[in-house]
Amino acid sequence: MAYLELKNISKIFGKTTAVEDFNLQVNKGELVSFLGPSGCGKTTTLRMVAGFEIPTGGKIIIDGKDVTNKSPNQRDVGMIFQSYALFPNLTVAGNVGFGLKIAKKPAEEIKKRVVEMLDLIHMPEYGNRYPYQLSGGQQQRVALARALALSPDVLLLDEPLSALDAKIRVSLRAEIRAIQQELGITAIYVTHDQEEALSISDRIVVMYNGHIEQIGTPFQVYNFPETAFVASFIGTLNAFNAEIIDPKTNSIQIGSVQLVTEESIQDRKVGDKLMIAIRPERLSFSSEQKKANIINCQIENITFLGSIVRIEVKTGDTHFFMDTFNNPFLELPKIGETVEITCSRQAVIILNH
Amino acid sequence: MTWLSKIRKVPFWSWFWFVLGVLYFVLPLYATLDFSLRMERDTISLKAYQSAFSDPEFLKTFLYSIFLAAMTIVVSIALVVPTAYWIRLRLPQARRIVEFITLMPFVVPAIILVFGLIRIYSSPFTIPFTSIVLMQPLTNFKVGTNILIIGGYTVLGLPYMYRSVDTGMRTVDVRTLTEAAQSMGANWGTIITKIILPNVRTALLSGALLTFAIVVGEVVLASFLGIPAFGPYLFLLGQHRAYEPAALAFTTFLLTWAAMGIIQLVTGGQSQAAGAH
Repeated sequence: MAYLELKNISKIFGKTTAVEDFNLQVNKGELVSFLGPSGCGKTTTLRMVAGFEIPTGGKIIIDGKDVTNKSPNQRDVGMIFQSYALFPNLTVAGNVGFGLKIAKKPAEEIKKRVVEMLDLIHMPEYGNRYPYQLSGGQQQRVALARALALSPDVLLLDEPLSALDAKIRVSLRAEIRAIQQELGITAIYVTHDQEEALSISDRIVVMYNGHIEQIGTPFQVYNFPETAFVASFIGTLNAFNAEIIDPKTNSIQIGSVQLVTEESIQDRKVGDKLMIAIRPERLSFSSEQKKANIINCQIENITFLGSIVRIEVKTGDTHFFMDTFNNPFLELPKIGETVEITCSRQAVIILNH
Repeated sequence: MTWLSKIRKVPFWSWFWFVLGVLYFVLPLYATLDFSLRMERDTISLKAYQSAFSDPEFLKTFLYSIFLAAMTIVVSIALVVPTAYWIRLRLPQARRIVEFITLMPFVVPAIILVFGLIRIYSSPFTIPFTSIVLMQPLTNFKVGTNILIIGGYTVLGLPYMYRSVDTGMRTVDVRTLTEAAQSMGANWGTIITKIILPNVRTALLSGALLTFAIVVGEVVLASFLGIPAFGPYLFLLGQHRAYEPAALAFTTFLLTWAAMGIIQLVTGGQSQAAGAH
């Protein structure tokens, strides 16, 4: 049985539907990310779990208890905000122990728990400092300790790393993940950063316009996107409108290029339109290894991106991006040169809509 | 870079306007101080101050004004803090309306306010369409008049108190702090007393001191409502004496400056805290 369950959740603000028919089951100890662009409803959904917004419809169940209409202070939910939200008038220890004080725990127990939490975030000597004496990363670690001090049923993280610089973001997300796994706490993590979601999550919920587009592991969401939106939002993508030329052999055509896909299209007719996608890293030069699909094309542009080299090729009016690992000894073709590129049948993904 | 070279870098006209501004403010003050020290012919003495402070009416009216100021501050805080808090938290669309209302004292002169108060509250409150009296006119008894003047002062101090508190709440992002406290199990009472008030204390102090300065020197409301406050006393004194009003006016300046100094002292610490965010 799921530990956290969101059943048919919807939220309407005036004439705007922010979230519609949202269904999700989260297991105990799982970290699920809500990923999507601004305004897709991810934060609204998180705020409904926290109790800051009441759903227009649907139910929220935590550990078998319906908490849909409970106020935020009656749910055992810890929250971490983008802006840290540490209380400026309290020291680090005061902040971490705040919830325990509210819960009227004995002073000794509070002191012990605060020490435990500060050790957990590797800041044992910072108890007497005030928030303004800490860096952004340190403040967010204190916010994490504060949220965890009460051992909440669910930990909610609302874009916790957005205000930090790139290097700290990477190290802190690893720290958050390690602590979450160590404590086995159920967590929901809101982000618009695909790399963050892919690296930290057990599962990702990709959202768009208040709807769930796809739920899956980072591997599934990246490699097998179900919709055009998921495919385009996560990673770089070659997406095309294609036409079926032979359903029996799974053959399709994009402009002058014919491709074969692994996915069955035998239930469709010749001339049917569909949308397909190919990840740039699934394309390679056929001189290396020939695969099921071979495309003759001309080099349009070559962009050096550090660890990878992105090559833009053209055949007729169709453009493809192809990624290849950077290798200092690799001899790249020249712009305008005609080459043969290839991809497997599995690389051609059919998108639902 | 030395201070002299820093000064030299500032253009001449900037210095000209700065000096002119300083003279405009300082000269009358200096003239008042100088005049207040010349009660005795051809000597500089504090006799005017001695005379002013030894008048029992001075202490009586001054303490009365302090009492009124304290009550006004309490009422203002009780009115403004929850209002500003709720607007920041739940009703941001009402901010413009409330800001407009709080600016009314700048538009409506105190004389209009006091005549309005007298006109409305000098008649008994009756049950509509009957002659049953619920309450005697507020202007008929001392407590009632005090209530009226505290209400009037609250209105006069509203622009300063509301702005101070609202700015203080914006600086600390009360909305997120409230949500953070709620998620840790805090109820409304705890949130207001343990989180909101401590974090806007500087703003409250600023608003309170400005309100204090307004109330202590106010003449119009107190005169027309017949309240024995410091403002009317100073006004009356000015009509009969020459040096004592100057001495008291200068003392009031010093008190205001002391108040401003306290604000600076307290605000200095918190702006450092806010700056780090």
